[in-house]
Amino acid sequence: MTSIRVTVNGRPVEAEVSPRQHLADFLREQLFLTGTHIGCEHGICGACTVEIDGEISRSCITYAVTCDGASIRTIEGFDEDPLMGKLRDAFTRNHALQCGYCTPGMLVAARDLVRRKADLSREDIRTEMSGNLCRCTGYVGIVNAIEQVMQETAQEARAPSARAWLGPAPGPSRQVAEVAPAAPVQARKPVATAPAQTKRTSRSPITVTVGAIEEVDGATRLMQTFTLPHPREAVWALMSDPVAVATCIPGLSLEPQRPDGTFPGRMEIALGPVKASFSGLGTVEAHPAEYRQVIEGRGGDKRSGSQASGKADYRLLADGADATRVEVALSYVLAGPLAQIGRAAIVRDLVRRVGEAFAQTVDARLAGEEAAPSQSFGAFTLLLQLVLDRIRALFAGSNAKRG
Amino acid sequence: MGAPGRPAGGASGQGIGASMPRKEDDRYMRGRGQYVGDIKVAGMLEVAFLRSPVAHARIKAIRIPDAIRAHVVIADDLEGVKAIRADTSLPGFKSSVQPALATGKVRYVGELIALCAAPTRAEAEDMAAEIEVDFEPLPAVVDMRAARRPESALVHEHWGDNLYLTTFVDVDFEAAKAKAAYSVTKELVTARQVMSPMEGRGVIAEWNSRKGQLVLTTSSQQPHIVRTGLAECLGLAEEQVRVVSPDVGGGFGYKGILLPEEVALGFATRKLGRPLRWLEDRRENLTANANCREHHYVLTAYADANGRLLALDCEATVDSGAYSAYPFSACLEAGQVGSILPGLYDFPHYRCKVYSVATNKPPILPYRGVARTGVCFALEVTLDALARKIGCEPNDLRFKSLVQPHQMPFDNIAKRHFDSGDYPKALRMAIEAVGHDAVRARQKQGEKDGRRIGIGYAMYAEQAGHGTSVYAAWGIPFVPGFEQSQARFTPDGGLELRIGAHSHGQGMETTLSQVAHEILGIPHDRIKLVHGDTGETPYSTGTWGSRSMIMSGGAVAAACDALAERVLKIGAALMQAKREDVRLENGFVVGPSGRMAVTDIARTWYRRPQDLPPDVDPGGLELTAGYKAKRDTGTFSYAAHAAVVAVDPDTGATEILDYVVVEDGGVLVNPMIVDGQVYGGCAQGIGTALYEEMGFDANGQPQASTLSDYMLPGPGEMPDVRILHLETPSPYTRWGQKGVGEGGAIAPPAAITNAINDALKDMGVELTMSPITPRRIVAAIDAASAAAPLGGKAA
Amino acid sequence: MKPSAFAYRRASSLSDAVAALAANADAKIMAGGQTLGPMLNLRLAQPAEIVDITRIPELCATSETSDWVNLGALVTHAAIEDGLVPDPTRGFLARVAHGIAYRAVRTRGTVGGSLAHADPAADWLSCFTALGAQISISGPTDTRRVPLHGFMRGALDTDLAPGEILSAVHLPKFSANARFGYAKFCRKDGEFADAIGAALLDPDRAIYRLVASTTAGAPIVIEAGAAFAPEEIPARLDAAGSTGDSYERRLRAVILKRALAEAMGK
Repeated sequence: MTSIRVTVNGRPVEAEVSPRQHLADFLREQLFLTGTHIGCEHGICGACTVEIDGEISRSCITYAVTCDGASIRTIEGFDEDPLMGKLRDAFTRNHALQCGYCTPGMLVAARDLVRRKADLSREDIRTEMSGNLCRCTGYVGIVNAIEQVMQETAQEARAPSARAWLGPAPGPSRQVAEVAPAAPVQARKPVATAPAQTKRTSRSPITVTVGAIEEVDGATRLMQTFTLPHPREAVWALMSDPVAVATCIPGLSLEPQRPDGTFPGRMEIALGPVKASFSGLGTVEAHPAEYRQVIEGRGGDKRSGSQASGKADYRLLADGADATRVEVALSYVLAGPLAQIGRAAIVRDLVRRVGEAFAQTVDARLAGEEAAPSQSFGAFTLLLQLVLDRIRALFAGSNAKRG
Repeated sequence: MGAPGRPAGGASGQGIGASMPRKEDDRYMRGRGQYVGDIKVAGMLEVAFLRSPVAHARIKAIRIPDAIRAHVVIADDLEGVKAIRADTSLPGFKSSVQPALATGKVRYVGELIALCAAPTRAEAEDMAAEIEVDFEPLPAVVDMRAARRPESALVHEHWGDNLYLTTFVDVDFEAAKAKAAYSVTKELVTARQVMSPMEGRGVIAEWNSRKGQLVLTTSSQQPHIVRTGLAECLGLAEEQVRVVSPDVGGGFGYKGILLPEEVALGFATRKLGRPLRWLEDRRENLTANANCREHHYVLTAYADANGRLLALDCEATVDSGAYSAYPFSACLEAGQVGSILPGLYDFPHYRCKVYSVATNKPPILPYRGVARTGVCFALEVTLDALARKIGCEPNDLRFKSLVQPHQMPFDNIAKRHFDSGDYPKALRMAIEAVGHDAVRARQKQGEKDGRRIGIGYAMYAEQAGHGTSVYAAWGIPFVPGFEQSQARFTPDGGLELRIGAHSHGQGMETTLSQVAHEILGIPHDRIKLVHGDTGETPYSTGTWGSRSMIMSGGAVAAACDALAERVLKIGAALMQAKREDVRLENGFVVGPSGRMAVTDIARTWYRRPQDLPPDVDPGGLELTAGYKAKRDTGTFSYAAHAAVVAVDPDTGATEILDYVVVEDGGVLVNPMIVDGQVYGGCAQGIGTALYEEMGFDANGQPQASTLSDYMLPGPGEMPDVRILHLETPSPYTRWGQKGVGEGGAIAPPAAITNAINDALKDMGVELTMSPITPRRIVAAIDAASAAAPLGGKAA
Repeated sequence: MKPSAFAYRRASSLSDAVAALAANADAKIMAGGQTLGPMLNLRLAQPAEIVDITRIPELCATSETSDWVNLGALVTHAAIEDGLVPDPTRGFLARVAHGIAYRAVRTRGTVGGSLAHADPAADWLSCFTALGAQISISGPTDTRRVPLHGFMRGALDTDLAPGEILSAVHLPKFSANARFGYAKFCRKDGEFADAIGAALLDPDRAIYRLVASTTAGAPIVIEAGAAFAPEEIPARLDAAGSTGDSYERRLRAVILKRALAEAMGK
């Protein structure tokens, strides 16, 4: 728990908060200011809109601990505000609310808009209010009400923007509670401590071709091909050894083979702030006569409650005496929260990048160079790709542009 | 009342017909509403659920660390708890049982596996992350049409197939073919959606040992139905259960459902000995719970040589998900398709077969417009295609085929009884209001920015307030009968009204006050509506099916009438006048020699009973009265929607340039609130048409878990909808009012799709799937130009 | 939907923040938190420690030299929208800022956070790349200044090494004849852009730069000449490795054309 001092609706408050408690929960659960509503908890719907140091903010994705020293104003703090009074009158006159759930956030955002801007067209009002969703009214009454209050207050000066601190409020100058010296890091062991960079090798890059991505029988499938400037026997010597292959796949660690033929292993994936660690079992099925090997794995990530399985079926084709063409058929299935974030189009590019890293590492290894793959982007690639793909879809959403 | 020429709102201007501002608003606008999440109970723990990450699997083992075992409830712990069962009496219906917590198998992603209770939600989620489940994967049944095939995997193995129900109607269909001059066959699809009220579900369960009652505070629009279902599942007598619905942040049908979460909390609060609260988060709402609408149609429409609709032939499939949800069951959505499909049209031949299919997805729940949105889309889009085939304006076909006003009341080919209205007039008004000819002229000129303009229409009728006779035939867990209201004066002359339905945005605290004011003349600030508590209100099936103003409005009126009679009798006696010589006016009993305030009569009853006449009704100033419409097959409000769109063929973007609604909701009690319902419905319909889609991958993984993925229309996506009214009274209801709660959401997908298809018709493009996304438009344009590279039609 | 537990450290200076990152490999920087917050709430990100950098004055400094405008990484989108920082683009930046997400997000979202997160759909990434921006990256030993173009390696992947912090953005000044263009395609106001196009035409300095976002990685940069015709855009994009299906590639070209048309005053 961390101590904070904030001013809420003009009243000083000192409180102990857990760092993970967002501001909306702090206001609602600790201060009983339940007018700030929670609609999505990922910054889209606007029901939780409050003012922090005079600027509207999402209280569901702002943590109470970061507001130490700030002045917060919730819907309950606008009871006596004249401009809010005008908006309340206009909202009720125009039937701008039905179930009332979005209303506090809607009013706080509307007041901020009218405070800052005059003379907007209806279309502009709609655009400006796009951060607040209402499922009941179709926004007609809301736009009418805001338009009317804008007209009523047309002669009044709009508040000039004159903030001294240009970053997220409250900034450095504010008096704050003593932060307890370096709170111990909680419970969990850190993941993936190795450097995130791929070590560059002196070798020239290997081009990896990525085929069309398709969904077959519930699995996502794609084909990667690349050519290594090494004889097939040399490549096979490396790629027929699961443990050696694993060392070329960033984030993958395998334990020795069990008597039943399986390999316990762990695949760690890191993408920006997102990390997942799938633990499970792998099997290897070798077809030396065909220079072909099939590696399959299945595992779960406890952190996210997600599950994954994947399969890499690769074979080596001699491309003359000194080169080998590698064809890898990849397929994967992902289940759970990591699979439930919409699709996007980055799979192809990422697979190419990851495939290149893998091919590069194999090439360097065969050339006798010390090469370690990136720790942060895995080439049991399928899982990674899928995770990246899904996650991007979310955070490329409105959130992503926010920094 | 409701007669033409009557001043809006009656003598005081505050009764029926007045656009009264709402009583509810002030508390909401000050952040003083009280939703489930705003309520705390001493000793309460927060609940998080461990949910299935996979769509279909056997549960082999659940491993719970010892340290948290006492705070976790799984299926094995549910002693004496019965699964949720929502059967119908329709022949051939196959029953599913929905366990409160997954038992043996999971059948959709998000199905509950374990309830975890902790002081904070975050800690409860930590706990859920500690539980490990071993699954034996089973093939997921995801595509509803594939699910109908004999080789499909089975959601419920003992059924032998995946069909909840197959319904079939045939009215002399074969004879149509010989008479038909034109026909078109279309395949149409509406996406699975999520109702997405801004507030999710929320539940607080606590056992009150003094009353021997489970008190369940829940975000529900049908609290009495929840009580019945909950008592059945928990093995409690109904008097041992009290269900409270406080302020509810939007319902739209989703909050009529008895959730397994409610059953799980109702059980676990006693097992754990603590009050429990679960607040549904957005991810749970989207991925696991509030699923709705997913239809597929193959529809053939036939016209005769005169360009008049002759017949419809339809095969429809509805994806009902993994379980039959309580109380509406897995037949309501599918079963209504056949009865709604004929729309507002009069034609002689009809055939319709509908499959309600089980899949490994969340149960499909009734959403505003229930089935009508998909049906209207299928019918009206197909009619436009038929008109293009005939070579006429789509509205020519409509005018020739609509039921005419002189036919009213009219029993249609699916045995629906249309009560009143002038359908052609509504369409004429829409054509005029939208400036049809001007749009056609503009269309000919073309747009400078390269976009294409189109105009589209759609019509529907909305059956509302349908009662006993209709639901007895369905045989689902409830059948609505008489609706009741309790009315009573307080000792100081205030009026309390109690209803078993629930208001969560409809403004009933205001509109029912208008009803009471109309009859008793009590000032609005002395009328209080009590609702949302089974302990304080008469039984009701709740708020659904656009029924409240018909049923609760009728019941409140009946109670106020009866109360008025008692007040008048007392007043007459106190004023020494005859009963027949006194009347109620503006809150006074007015007699030949003077008047007496109703408040004084109330005071006399409670505080000066010595002054009462000896023959006074001992029931006093408190009574319960019931109501049922003269005919309970429902009112049929209807509308014509007209949309004008501009489509950008380069990006696939659609802009709605104009949107007109001509609505006939009978006599309007509060026109402002009715317009609000229409606007809000339209926004949801526009979401259906252009934005909202809950996709699933081939393994049954839901593809939208945030509002970034699942796009709700925001202010910028809504046009300035224009509403015009007709006001044809229903012959069957108290004042001729009709239900209008859902209509706005029904027609927009059809009207907008017709407008888009009109805009792109020269390119040979026709879209038959909602939502129509930019990507789908561009793909359709590409496909059309690939199909006709030299045809000259493709631009 | 609540985050898993994390420790919280409020950095008092840039060196303090860098040290905090060095001390804990599972620490994550948070500025405005408008991207990280949702990831925390959804438990997609579960860092052991959050290092709050919003109290570091030097990260919010703005300054101007004869050739450059320097923005601290903590400058919010709203500060740019409101014209509170020096603007070398005569209002173009404010317009781009205004189009980012929603006002209540812009008040806390920062330029540095947006760039460091490296989402392909981020407005600043494409916009600043078109403007020829540079960024400062501070690490344990020094601060390096590099072009923004090349900083992003892929979706959500950048050239930042562990322990490094993106500390400032540097925007060049333009000639009086410079023209700017910006277009994006979103299915909804404020939502994720399916395509972004940015154009800088500064004939006095012979810069004719077009930038298109991709859905999969770093933006595509086209250094066009004075004689460049908009009709060349699709081919130039394809030559630059425009990815995605036919819809994405077409949309990218259409939107970039619109950005160019605006810059050309059409």
